[in-house]
Amino acid sequence: MSRPQDAARDTSSNLTSDAWADTYRDKWKWDKVTWGTHCVDCYPANCPYRVFVRDGRVVREEQAATFTTVEPGVPDMNPTGCQKGAAWSRMLNGKDRVKYPLRRAGERGEGRWKRVSWDEATTEIADAMLDAMEESGPRSILRPGTTEGGIQTIALANNIFLRLGATVSDVLAEVSDIAPGLFITFGRYGSCSSHDDWFHSELTLIWANNPTQSNISTVHYLTEARYNGGETITIAPDYSPSAIHSNQFVPVRIGSDAALALSMCRVLIDENLVDEAFVREQTDLGLLVRTDTSRFLRQCDVSEGGSDEIFHLFDTRTGRITEAPRTLDLAGLEPALEGTYRATLKDGSAVEVVPAFVRLRRRLEAYAPEDASVICGVHPEHIRQLARKVARKRTRIITGWTTGKSYHGDLMERSMCLVIALTGNWGKKGCGIRGIGAGMFDGPYLQSMKPQAGQQVTEFMFLAEEERIREALAKDPTLTREILMAQSSSEGGLTLGASSPFFFWYNQCGYREVFNNPSHNDPLMKRPFDDYVKEALEKGWWKGQEHPTVEHPHRVFFNIGGNPLRMQRGGQRMLLEHLWPTLHMIVTLDFRLSTTALYSDFVLPVAQHHEKTNFDYSVHDMMNLVLADKAVEPQGESLSEYQVTLLIARKLSQRAVARGMLEVKKDDGQIVRLDTFYEDLTLNGALAEDDAILDEAVRDSAVMGTLPPGTTLASLRETGWVRFTGLGAAVTSLAEASDVRPDETFAPFRWQTEKKEPFPTLTRRAQFYIDHEWFLEAGEELPMHKEAPALGGNHPLVVTSGHPRAGVNGMHSTDRTMMATGRGKPVAHINDGDAAARGIENGQDIRIFNDDAAMVIQARVTPTARPGQVVLYSGFEPYLFPEWKDFANLETGMVKWLHLAGGYGHLRYRPLLWQPVPIDRGVHVEVEKAC
Amino acid sequence: MGNVTQSKRQLAWVFDLNKCIGCQTCSVACKVLWPGEDPGTESMWWMTVNTQPGRGMPRDWETMGGGYYADGRPKLGRRPTDNEIGGGWEFNHDEVQSGGRGRDAHLHAISGNPSWGMNWDEDEGGGQYPNSYYFYLPRLCAHCTRPACVEACPHDAIFKREDDGLVLINETLCRGDGSCIEACPYKKIDFNALRGVSQKCIGCFPRIDLGVAPACVRQCPGRAAFVGFLDDENSAVHKLVRRWNVALPLHPEFGVEPNVYYVPPLAPSPLRADGSVDETGERIPPAYLESLFGPAVHGALATLKAELDKRPRGEASQLLDTLILYHWKDALGHLDRDPAEIIWSREPDKGDLR
Repeated sequence: MSRPQDAARDTSSNLTSDAWADTYRDKWKWDKVTWGTHCVDCYPANCPYRVFVRDGRVVREEQAATFTTVEPGVPDMNPTGCQKGAAWSRMLNGKDRVKYPLRRAGERGEGRWKRVSWDEATTEIADAMLDAMEESGPRSILRPGTTEGGIQTIALANNIFLRLGATVSDVLAEVSDIAPGLFITFGRYGSCSSHDDWFHSELTLIWANNPTQSNISTVHYLTEARYNGGETITIAPDYSPSAIHSNQFVPVRIGSDAALALSMCRVLIDENLVDEAFVREQTDLGLLVRTDTSRFLRQCDVSEGGSDEIFHLFDTRTGRITEAPRTLDLAGLEPALEGTYRATLKDGSAVEVVPAFVRLRRRLEAYAPEDASVICGVHPEHIRQLARKVARKRTRIITGWTTGKSYHGDLMERSMCLVIALTGNWGKKGCGIRGIGAGMFDGPYLQSMKPQAGQQVTEFMFLAEEERIREALAKDPTLTREILMAQSSSEGGLTLGASSPFFFWYNQCGYREVFNNPSHNDPLMKRPFDDYVKEALEKGWWKGQEHPTVEHPHRVFFNIGGNPLRMQRGGQRMLLEHLWPTLHMIVTLDFRLSTTALYSDFVLPVAQHHEKTNFDYSVHDMMNLVLADKAVEPQGESLSEYQVTLLIARKLSQRAVARGMLEVKKDDGQIVRLDTFYEDLTLNGALAEDDAILDEAVRDSAVMGTLPPGTTLASLRETGWVRFTGLGAAVTSLAEASDVRPDETFAPFRWQTEKKEPFPTLTRRAQFYIDHEWFLEAGEELPMHKEAPALGGNHPLVVTSGHPRAGVNGMHSTDRTMMATGRGKPVAHINDGDAAARGIENGQDIRIFNDDAAMVIQARVTPTARPGQVVLYSGFEPYLFPEWKDFANLETGMVKWLHLAGGYGHLRYRPLLWQPVPIDRGVHVEVEKAC
Repeated sequence: MGNVTQSKRQLAWVFDLNKCIGCQTCSVACKVLWPGEDPGTESMWWMTVNTQPGRGMPRDWETMGGGYYADGRPKLGRRPTDNEIGGGWEFNHDEVQSGGRGRDAHLHAISGNPSWGMNWDEDEGGGQYPNSYYFYLPRLCAHCTRPACVEACPHDAIFKREDDGLVLINETLCRGDGSCIEACPYKKIDFNALRGVSQKCIGCFPRIDLGVAPACVRQCPGRAAFVGFLDDENSAVHKLVRRWNVALPLHPEFGVEPNVYYVPPLAPSPLRADGSVDETGERIPPAYLESLFGPAVHGALATLKAELDKRPRGEASQLLDTLILYHWKDALGHLDRDPAEIIWSREPDKGDLR
């Protein structure tokens, strides 16, 4: 540390010693510096900042830029941050800031408020909770999973609901950030490398993604990989901000990505460019499929009492059909990828079997480059060149969450996975396909389960869990920790939220009609949507998830760290029309007045970033735990999310005692005592303070091995951040399947390529052949290209979406500084030719409409949009639009029926992983000049 | 009219347009730190990033004149109008959020120019799909070696610092007549109508004086910005501008010898009419780049491409190592001090921070 006087001061012209110059010097002074970050759902976030405070107010923040080099020869991560972070201090004093508890004084949504005391607010809320529990138990209180607000909201504020047995819905389902195709293939989608690993790629395919806008803090690794001799190719319909820094732009027709990928696969096979050893070892393509049933040849087919999860291959070395190992260690076997064989069934009859690869080759016959070109609009020779490049180079596909939000996004992702499977591109540095990585910071999620505070009890719980895992692994050495944890998470273990919202949408939000509309479904579907729901329920695939029912709807709704009226696919119209009238109490905890806050009965003010201690959820993209420290006192009467929920808990106990309602029964039959609810929740007050529970969480993580020994909240106040040392216990983290090494970039799936550990799929391999009866019925047992239904109706333009540059999930869309970096209002990008044909000029208001709804927005006319495309970035507060009609109303909110499939290996409900989630990409619209 | 004192050393900025992602972090970092949203500075952005081709900010600034003719005579320029600057928007938050009007009121700008702003034509670009093209161009005061603003000021209010060549407006001496704004060919001087003074980028001199890099450079997450003394052979700026000649001034024909330099942009190969890739073609018309960076742009791009070809062959390239920036601090030249190390002390009686 040194004082400013130590540095050379203004030795130049004496003119800079004038008063005017001192005014500027004075602007850049502070009396306190703290570590900070912004705990937002800006995946990957976790950018360490320094927060500068003067006279008790945050004056500004700046990236700390204190990262050291991890791997020699790879650029360091400094200075991670972005424009939102640079201006966050402005949002502390934003005009939409809430500082006092507000009670609705008019109709919901009217915007009339009465300031009330915390006592008044919590009394009414607690009574509403007790009323709801009296009516139909704690399940009737819904806390939808949300992503904003870091550990304070995602973990700490959930404790009250988890302990009460209220419904906490699956956060990734709520935000549609699920990668179904990756999950179908790998049984996981934790295929997320640290972003510095991007530097190692020889070829990067930016595919259905726009990291230049969504990964501002780390996208430099792509431009630097290019300078390092790598090649970057952007595959997108529009000439996107990510395309401009690429070596090639591949303009693909919207929704046809699977055709392009499959055509590349066809070229790989035709030109003998397949990495056969990799395919044999890592994938199911060497497993035998019966040609009579199109099902895998299972052990139960060939022997009485055999397993239906043991499969077969034809070993070319012995010339015999052999059981496939349950790990990736082939133990000297060489599965045939070609040929036709005969297997003898248990009744003595013989059937013809072929390796799944043969089925795949036949499937790919439809995707010769000349044929695929007609579908995807990419020149056949270009397709061939792409395939050859992938075969030759260490390749990574950087995709995001656009595919998962597309109707046939699972097919797109499965096709992309096939490209990297055939070329051996996973399980080593510089390659793979990007998925979500989350976990590592396990400590916070432990707190709702601990009987008492302190690390002794953590160690005890940890050792007991380790013992359980050791025993299970001893019983079946082909299992992995990930598979075990996945199984217990299906049963409701260590997860962020355990309840799929599918039946909430279906039963309480009006989606049953939407889902059953034939025009919203794949035209090739064999049966009505409800047939599949009925079958799935009858077969018990969604046991425990069939709530709320029509008879017992949710009654109390807690919106914490979210904005459902902005985010809901299908739009606020669905929620306001169907859900809102059934809710007796709507509570929003927020620091700003979102659209959902405006439609709430109570708005409770929470402390902003830099006004409370917090951490963001941790991600493998960054590999660091970053402290968001409390730099200043919260404004007005605002409190951290955790403290707000504790006030509610305390009042709940008081009101329960007053009403003589001393306990409540959870769905699982367990009794929750209400009179001691607050004491039980805080472990008798030991964890009642933010710093106490967060310190506990950090220390617990150190015990559990994801943080270096000795890490505490106090040590983080010195260093600001610390790199994780292990994956921890969360399924989403174990899914990364690689050791965390202190001096290497993090590349997932190395346990598969290096240790031959199995994938957590039915076949224990990357699985491209899905012989689930529904998939066979749909013709989707293998990846294919299918045209999506025309969601929105028969209209000529198709909307694509994505992360806006200047906002994170809507919260910046009403911030003055961020609005100033655009047009001060949302815009829709449309192609210049399309605009001219409709008489639309740049900057004019246009009306976008389809069969579902209409909206008015300003047009940005540009040749960077593909003809027929409308680019409409997401994340705008609905009240930015006339009559608050935003694009979500046009989105339909459809789900793909196949994602209700269960009862099949990895295809069963797993929190955060497998379940139907709504679609918002590829919506059909027409556009006209607004009146 | 003011006379230019030549500085002993010159601080310079380099922006690598192949790394600039148009994120506006530099603009926002500057805005928050310096002009802020004080009365009179609402629409003021000393640092801006615009999409090229485009009309920029102020709108069509390249046509407004200023600078010098080739023979050295000052070229008449004009001041941009408020509408050409745009922005400065205030919004009706209260009406929407607590006005009791429900859906009858939506959030929109209630002041400022509704048809232009600092980044109005973002991502619009030029060309024709699929061969559309664009890139981002960050701009700040160029702290020129021959600053037209200094010569134009009738009050000697603008000066060039001897030690680092920063061009600064002495706001005490400034009378607000705007001659500097007319003279600046980059239109990077703003007018504060409320205070009646010209204001512009101060080169972050309070930071620089304490060894800390300017906010626009230090906060650039694209790692596209470099700062340092042009004559410091160890600085990235020197290497890129002087040794490799890959960083070029914008509109050298303006005649002011700017000290902000750009590594010109590469772009994806264009597509032929049949959709096949033309690996030898140019997506961005070379003539367009020449209109921005002068004829030297062709040599700079050729150097860059030649070095890029080396890498896949496993050959070393010092130029690319410099641009990759293995160690971020190497972008900052001698200005690599961490500002959080600075402790200001408070004078007990006054409460001022020193």
